[in-house]
Amino acid sequence: MLNNNSGIKTRKLDWPMIYALIGLCVMGFFTILSAVSGTKEMVSIMRTHIIALPVAISAFVFGWLFNYQIYAEHYKKLYAFVIFLLVAVLAFGIVARGSHSWFRFGGFSFQPAELCRIALIVITAAFLAARPRQIKSFKTLAIFGAFILPVFALIMMQPDFSSIVVTAPALLILLFVAGVNIYYFVLIIAFVLMAGIFPILWTYIGLYPEVLDNSVILGWVNSLSFDIIPCLIFSGVILALFIIGWFMLKYFRIFVPFSLTMVLAFSMVAGFFGGYFVNKHIKSYQRKRIEAFLAPTADPKGASYNVLQAQIAMGSGGVLGKGFFSGTQSRLGFVPERHTDFILAILGEERGLIGTLFVLGLYILILWRIVFIAQNSSDLFGYLLCVGIFAIFFVYMAFNFGMLIGIVPVAGIPLPFISYGGSNLVSSMWAMGLVEGVYFRRLSLI
Amino acid sequence: MKTKLNFNNHRLIIMFVLALLSGALIAYRLIFIQFISHQKYTSQAEKNRTQILYQTAPRGQILARGGEVLASNQAAFSLYYLPPFEMPDEKILIEISEAVSKNTFKSQKDILQIIKKSLKSGKAALLVDNLAPKNIFALAELQNFYPGLYLLEETKRYYPYGASAAHLLGYIGTMEKSTWKELSGELDYRLNSKIGKSGIEKRYEKELKGRDGGLFLEVNYKGRVTQIMKDNRWRQGADVYTTLLAPVQQAAEDAVRNSLTGRGAAVVLDVKTGAVLAMASLPDWDPNIFTPYNTGKNNESKIKISEYNLAIQGLFPPASTFKTITALAAYESGTLDLKHEDNCTGHIYLNGREFKCWKAHGPHIDFIKGMEQSCDTYFYNLGLKTGSYNIEKMQRKFRFGRKTGIDLPGEKSGNIYGPTKRANLKTYWFGGDTLNLSIGQGELLLTPLQMAVYAAALASKGKIWRPYYIEKVVSPSGKILEENKSELVEQVKLKDGAFELIHKALKSVVDNATGRGAKIKDIAVYGKTGTAQNPHGDDHGWFLAFAGEENEEPEIAVSVLIQFGKGGGAQAAPAARKIIQAYFDLKHSKDKQENENVK
Repeated sequence: MLNNNSGIKTRKLDWPMIYALIGLCVMGFFTILSAVSGTKEMVSIMRTHIIALPVAISAFVFGWLFNYQIYAEHYKKLYAFVIFLLVAVLAFGIVARGSHSWFRFGGFSFQPAELCRIALIVITAAFLAARPRQIKSFKTLAIFGAFILPVFALIMMQPDFSSIVVTAPALLILLFVAGVNIYYFVLIIAFVLMAGIFPILWTYIGLYPEVLDNSVILGWVNSLSFDIIPCLIFSGVILALFIIGWFMLKYFRIFVPFSLTMVLAFSMVAGFFGGYFVNKHIKSYQRKRIEAFLAPTADPKGASYNVLQAQIAMGSGGVLGKGFFSGTQSRLGFVPERHTDFILAILGEERGLIGTLFVLGLYILILWRIVFIAQNSSDLFGYLLCVGIFAIFFVYMAFNFGMLIGIVPVAGIPLPFISYGGSNLVSSMWAMGLVEGVYFRRLSLI
Repeated sequence: MKTKLNFNNHRLIIMFVLALLSGALIAYRLIFIQFISHQKYTSQAEKNRTQILYQTAPRGQILARGGEVLASNQAAFSLYYLPPFEMPDEKILIEISEAVSKNTFKSQKDILQIIKKSLKSGKAALLVDNLAPKNIFALAELQNFYPGLYLLEETKRYYPYGASAAHLLGYIGTMEKSTWKELSGELDYRLNSKIGKSGIEKRYEKELKGRDGGLFLEVNYKGRVTQIMKDNRWRQGADVYTTLLAPVQQAAEDAVRNSLTGRGAAVVLDVKTGAVLAMASLPDWDPNIFTPYNTGKNNESKIKISEYNLAIQGLFPPASTFKTITALAAYESGTLDLKHEDNCTGHIYLNGREFKCWKAHGPHIDFIKGMEQSCDTYFYNLGLKTGSYNIEKMQRKFRFGRKTGIDLPGEKSGNIYGPTKRANLKTYWFGGDTLNLSIGQGELLLTPLQMAVYAAALASKGKIWRPYYIEKVVSPSGKILEENKSELVEQVKLKDGAFELIHKALKSVVDNATGRGAKIKDIAVYGKTGTAQNPHGDDHGWFLAFAGEENEEPEIAVSVLIQFGKGGGAQAAPAARKIIQAYFDLKHSKDKQENENVK
């Protein structure tokens, strides 16, 4: 790859990615303009966006030119800065839309959680790169857990559920690609599954109580949601099953360490109680989103309203779209959050299938370029940094598109470069700058 | 260079392939939503932003002959609720309903209920209709304040002459559900549409209705109208031209209203065509009470009116007016001797039974005197001479006992009285019956309209017209949908001089005797009074008349019945005079105008 072609060798920027970014930002600019045109907020939103764009470009240039390897040496300070930001926002931030997650200076507000999403990737990548030999060890994972949990706890105190939804899977992907022992993923997945399945089951039963009529199992599952004794019995059963399973495997001469089996069992029990906790403390609007996802047509004017209207907007756009400023779903306000999380619906309505596939294509292109740059990076940190950023944009894409097309519950996740939101744009551009920085320094030997 | 790094590359490839797969899944779903299901979502998007409001077309006008508008339309507003897409707070709903209630008289509970129903169905709902223009300012302000409220200009029925010709015009009201099922197939009726319930409004409902308009409104998610996408303008209904003369109609009603009891009927016919120039029936009602502006108090279902049209449904013995038939029958059979004189002692005896005259008229009562004084004794004797069969035949000639054929529902036919009729009923005819028949008492019954047709036949020397009251129906584009021409039902043929004799007798009744109450200077009025005996109360007063310019053919025929009015001469004749006077005043003022125009 590095032979022959001196052009590639000396190139300081990965131009396909730059073109894709420019394409997305231009699409984003006009889609936001169309989405807010005619509303009272139009002027303030467009002004903020126009100011955010050069700031974002500066962030990109900073990420690109500032040697990323410096983060590897000072990631602990960066971590301290993240903690400081999150504490500060709880202490001095303002409350908007029910969450305590904004700083406000002068006429501008800033959401530190957006920056923290990228910073956490940087920190994790640096942390893993610092111990290349111990990545597989449990100790590494334990340390990782120890420093990531306080961050999540602080974010949940705002609360900013969507930051967790984006960051947690991205970090898991990063750990996976970095080479963490697959067994720990089994543990994590078991935990997450247990923590996720039960609240969903309970919500489902709440939606369709008639399923209880003929089902002993579901009736028993339902009793878990409000009574502690069945929960304890259930935990005991899980443990017992694992112990019996271990003995059976042993009988068939398949040897699995007993400790691992028990850790898995305990992780499932912990996951179950995590789910129990989530179910007890979930916000009503969040439960409604889950309900809307489970039964989108049950209440078209209720919780699934947003997704349904977004789909109507996209579907009515057809292949070619209705043209800019001509989307009725958008102009008449039927699509909620139309300049932020649901901006794709506006794009789909006004630019049609061509517009949405174009944006999707640009995202795939960017993801591909990040993977390419990762593979060509000159050091492990650069590689992991690119993988982390790949992961977070993969999650953004999957969740934002997925939410619109009805395969993921609504989680309030924006589509970077398209959605309105200065903090997200700036931090996303910084992330892209970091990747370009890795590309820039792909030939250096430190 | 790469070799110095032990990157776990295959896991990254797995993740990248996963990203590609999710991209493919997303692309597939996008194609499904935006290409395959495009039609479905397009119609949903259209449904989201479109609210259709029907706009009731103004009904066609009903006009009198002189161009006076008897039924027209007034501007009225309807307040609609366009439901927003997001369920608004209960608090706001209550606020809206209270604000609307304050300005429209409708109860807050009802309004809230309609709003909630509308929210459930997602369709626009009518909150209040028939709002007066003076209420509009406050409501227009509310419309600006609360999205979802929308004022629509419509019209409502208005009858400028109030109760005038109420029985003929009819009234409109909200249709019953069963009617809606019948009509909704043909014309654009909605459940709250108003339709004609009686009279012309009902008979010409199809023509008067017109075509309702539709407004296609673009609304935003709050229910606020952003633009009118399409306006299918209504088409006004066809105009109905009646043959009525408004001043004569008014005069007829006033005359009956100002009589002793204020109850009765009057019919005026054009002798040369059979056109109904006026038809009054009292008691009547003001049809405007069915289409008032909203005041919160009106309740259509609670209104009670007397729809009984005395002019075509009221049956009364013709009494002394019938003496003209007896006279004609006698003349026709040759038994009338104009020189014969009777001595009226106030009663005669037949088979030992006493038959009274209403007054002892003394000696020298000849035919003209007998008619003038309405002397029963003279006509008892004349009837006995002529024979009941001949009198019955004369009734048949003038089509007594048969409907006049006017295009109005519920017309009564009355009945004939005579020996043949009796035989058909398998009972006997006695001599006393002949006496009763001669003076028009007994079982013979006529409606005031039949009486007027008979009067017109006398006036026109035997022409029996089918009375009609609709001249033509003209669509807004000027197309004539229906036109009525006079229809001669029968030409009564009698011996020469019969009608002239009756004319002479009736003229002298008015000029000299019992009909004096109807006398008008410079107008030739012919008339005959009648007092119908009523075993249940006071007698009914009749007056049969026709009139024309001096020395010219009679132009109009009038019948007046004053219910419980006792004597015909005292109550009915002056009423007839007022009506005839009104007709000629109108005619002369028109002539004068025309003359001036010519000059």
